[in-house]
Amino acid sequence: MKFTRSAGALLGLLHLLSAQAADDPPTGLADSAALRATVYGTPPQDIAPLPPLVPLQEIDIKLPWARPLPGVLWFDRRLRVWFSAQKQPAPLAIVIAGTGAEGNTAKQALLRATLYAAGYHVLTMPSPTNPGFIAAASSTGVAGDLMQDSHDLYAAAAEIIAHLPKKVRITEVDILGYSLGGAHAAVVKSIDAREQRLKIHRAVMINPPVSLFDSMGRLDRLFTVSIGNGAEDVDRLYRRMFARLANYYRASDQVRLEDTNLMAAAAAVLRTDADFAAAIALTFRLALVDFFYEGDLYAGTGIVTDPRHPPQPGDATAAVAQKLLGKSFDDYFNEVFAPYYLAHRSGATRDSLVAGTRLSIIAETLRSDGDYYAQTNSDDLILDAGELAWLRTTLAGRIAVYDHGGHLGNLGDRQQIADMLAMLQGRWQGSRP
Amino acid sequence: MSVTALRLCLLAAVLLLGGCVSRDFSMRTLPPDTPAADNAAAVKQLQVMQAEAAAAAQRAAASGAANVLPPLTAADVPSLTTYDPWERLNRFTYRFNARFDDFIFLPAADTYRRLPGVVRSGVHNFFSNLTEVVTTLNYAAQLRPAPAVRSIGRFAINSTMGIGGLFDVATAAHIPGVRTGFAQTMSRWGVGPGPYLVAPLLGPSNVRDTSGFVIDYGVNYGINILDLYRGLSGWVLTPLAMVDLRANTSFRYYSTGSPFEYDAVRFLVVRKTLIEDDAQRIWHTARRDPQRPAGP
Repeated sequence: MKFTRSAGALLGLLHLLSAQAADDPPTGLADSAALRATVYGTPPQDIAPLPPLVPLQEIDIKLPWARPLPGVLWFDRRLRVWFSAQKQPAPLAIVIAGTGAEGNTAKQALLRATLYAAGYHVLTMPSPTNPGFIAAASSTGVAGDLMQDSHDLYAAAAEIIAHLPKKVRITEVDILGYSLGGAHAAVVKSIDAREQRLKIHRAVMINPPVSLFDSMGRLDRLFTVSIGNGAEDVDRLYRRMFARLANYYRASDQVRLEDTNLMAAAAAVLRTDADFAAAIALTFRLALVDFFYEGDLYAGTGIVTDPRHPPQPGDATAAVAQKLLGKSFDDYFNEVFAPYYLAHRSGATRDSLVAGTRLSIIAETLRSDGDYYAQTNSDDLILDAGELAWLRTTLAGRIAVYDHGGHLGNLGDRQQIADMLAMLQGRWQGSRP
Repeated sequence: MSVTALRLCLLAAVLLLGGCVSRDFSMRTLPPDTPAADNAAAVKQLQVMQAEAAAAAQRAAASGAANVLPPLTAADVPSLTTYDPWERLNRFTYRFNARFDDFIFLPAADTYRRLPGVVRSGVHNFFSNLTEVVTTLNYAAQLRPAPAVRSIGRFAINSTMGIGGLFDVATAAHIPGVRTGFAQTMSRWGVGPGPYLVAPLLGPSNVRDTSGFVIDYGVNYGINILDLYRGLSGWVLTPLAMVDLRANTSFRYYSTGSPFEYDAVRFLVVRKTLIEDDAQRIWHTARRDPQRPAGP
């Protein structure tokens, strides 16, 4: 938890350095409250009751099906996940992280705490779009196909559970995930329904996308509107944010930047809707930079890495990062993802690949199996009205839609946690008026 | 003789731990999460922040103090590209440090964490208390008598009532310690951070701060309080101090798994130093303002 908080703080600082000038036009892509909630998350006083102590173990596992490891990713040889064990026999909750995230994010720690207090063993896993997962556990190296990524995730989870010490006794397995991890959780359960290796009982999707392709497209537009496209736009943004942050510390009486002051600094640096939009868009773009690079490396598409002269651990990477910051998900799809899958999957077309990023690949299961649930917000910026309506219709009442929170901005609040636990335990009675 | 034995033990430990790390499946027990306390602290922090923001606004309204300072403009901001003339060496050291962490530092910190809390806090307080000596000297060198006196006072209180520094009585008596070092002294007198440097074992930093750390250690070695820094006690205490430092540092190499982690860490570490230097410079210029509190 400790070092994750620090990694979170680093990302937080990136958030701060990512906002835009005060006089920019409104984004028109989401309302103010949704953008702010998405950045700030649930206020600490609204968080559900938390236990005093949650034991924690870090598991490193080498997976036999991983692709040969490129030298430049030497540190990602083994998949890292986190596990909290109950002393008595208990159900296991598997928690999947959102786009690009490792397996011990602040959001996962929050879910772990509430699940552990409710009597679960908890296994938190990275997103299949996380660079560490791609290197250690992906069978393709090219992230983004919902079914393929979920297969890898499922196989990894089964392998980890098989290695757990004998004294950990598991009575039942449930799975949940937030953001893109929510979609993965549902697809993993549908795979398990056929393969029966884990006998997953229930799945809860928290703020899932309905289409990775469309959600990322929306976030790319948010990036263009709030930041721009070229390297000079990113530079201008950086200069403004650095100046704001420096002036904030000049006016305060602190001469040391501490993790605990970051919220205050964020409040000082992020002011307008465009600021908050830029922070969100940049967070997703930074995740994309990682899996774009690894996809290019594994697929050998030669966009930023030379397949004939693979990058070495000592090489400078700043120029590559700079170039990738200007690349959208659409670019990734066209330059890496589609070329790889069109070459490796017989009968694949561009349209079938786009369809493969949609939750509708398991629409029939979601409709007919009563053990799938979802929680989302009516102002979630990764969904449009049509997608939200699709979720409501498909899940036929097994969905809680809250009025506020944007994307994950109410994760951990009392209502969300109470509903989530009720869903996982099969005692959810539907939304209260 | 005993020093040789110690070296052999260290070598054996390294080989043993090296064997543990290369397995296909390993579990490592981390310190438990403390969610209830963390969240309570966050609630409190939020209240403090709101109070501070209100106080700052009031202060600004009363004296216009915040406006006296010339704001930094976008044109003054240092370039987005970081000056890193020794990048290849730095990257090598970064990798070396990550491996050293995996094989030696973190296993040692894990073992250390298994000691009872009271023992660990005793060890931690003991080393913290020893640093009050260089802290005092550096505050003096920064021409800041008040914190220098506070620091030497803490040293006196904790060394006597705190039984050789094992207990931090001074903090309990509302005399909190604020550490400083030669790095900050150099910064105070206008020495810039110099190029980015990943120091062996110490990690991502810059030339000034790393040499500040080394010079502080040299001063301690020169003063040699209670003969702790030389001979056998030095051989035992220095590694113990480093393990204590590592166990209390949350940074973790390659925790992001990202191929761009080196760039991200360098970016953040360098910008953090620049903003801190800037804030310190302005604070020293503006500190005659009676409306402003005593500061750091």
